[in-house]
Amino acid sequence: MNERYSRQVLFPGIGKEGQEKISKKHVLIIGAGALGSGSAEILTRAGVGRLTIVDRDYVEASNLQRQQLYTEEDVAEKLPKAAAAEKRLKAINSDVEINAIIGDATPELLEELAAGVDLMLDATDNFETRMAMNDVSQKYNIPWIYGACVGSYGMSFSIIPGKTPCLNCLLRTIPLQGMTCDTGGIISPAVQMVIAHQTAEALKMLVEDWDAVRQTFVSFDLWRNQYTSLKMSKAKFAGCLSCGEDRTYPYLDSENMTKTTVLCGRDTVQIRPSKSGKISLEQLAGQLSTLGYTVKGNPYLVSVEMGEERMVIFQDGRALIHGTKDLTHAKTVYQRILG
Amino acid sequence: MNKILFFAHLRDAVGEEFLCLDASGKTVAQLKAELSEKYDLPRMDTVMTAINEEFASNDEVIQDGDEIAFIPPVSGG
Repeated sequence: MNERYSRQVLFPGIGKEGQEKISKKHVLIIGAGALGSGSAEILTRAGVGRLTIVDRDYVEASNLQRQQLYTEEDVAEKLPKAAAAEKRLKAINSDVEINAIIGDATPELLEELAAGVDLMLDATDNFETRMAMNDVSQKYNIPWIYGACVGSYGMSFSIIPGKTPCLNCLLRTIPLQGMTCDTGGIISPAVQMVIAHQTAEALKMLVEDWDAVRQTFVSFDLWRNQYTSLKMSKAKFAGCLSCGEDRTYPYLDSENMTKTTVLCGRDTVQIRPSKSGKISLEQLAGQLSTLGYTVKGNPYLVSVEMGEERMVIFQDGRALIHGTKDLTHAKTVYQRILG
Repeated sequence: MNKILFFAHLRDAVGEEFLCLDASGKTVAQLKAELSEKYDLPRMDTVMTAINEEFASNDEVIQDGDEIAFIPPVSGG
């Protein structure tokens, strides 16, 4: 064991044996935004054996306030986040095998990446990907740690197949129009608090100290001084399609995914969410105009100007992104606003 | 009586950190529907509920003295 990890080895919860275990583990981080950058940096510094990080987006100026791996240079070069993260993580710790994937974390990709993974960390910005991670976790028996934040508010919960309830038990459905950082804003301390919870649990799991793993669902609001931890033993749902006896892993089925289609000859992508439902156009228009976007609307749709693109959102959650033919980019723009 | 706590944007919508009202005998779903209408609360169907700091499903019946918390899951990351 080298000097580099001496302070962590001194910590009784880890020790030499724990460090040895950490150095042999493979962690998959989905998302390289605020949560992903922070978790990746902590685990890289901690000396995890292998780290795979997936992201579909590129670095923008509005990321720098909280996404700790990125620099102004990355913004100027419009580097994909996964590539910029890889560069920085390798500079931090050359012992760690960093595997960066520039791409959309679809159920197919997640299943492909699951082989040999010991733990998955959630750093995504939407529930559709989280539900797919949740199904992959159950199908391949890999623990994962949910984490999310918006404004000064955040939450985290560790999901261990066969032991804890899963995300589908808690939510039963994908929340449509969830709050996102692009609609509700975000402060860096809320990000760091979620990262602290996720990575502390990650270290416990990597050293296989399962008794130490937190069993409660944590949520907090740093601005309003709230902190709660909920007992979750009653949350396990016997009829759950992801972790129950008659499981079907519904979120690995492409039928249940957001559909993206390029509209012929129009430089427009149509996005259709997996679950249709009524969204409140009035509330959405209000939120977006508060944020300074140019918003127009009528009772049937909201139209919002977003730089080069214009997004038109209908009441059933369907949207048209004008000004692009790139399906992944269009989905990114959509999920930024609608979660 | 019951103390009802609100988190995140629900607290802004209600305008208070908590409310005191009598919800005993009602199910979580009934209370959600009532509050949703009275305060125009968004997306209550996917908001997680805790009774006395323990996860509660929509069909759980509220008892006198129970403390209820509404915790909206968020998606930012």
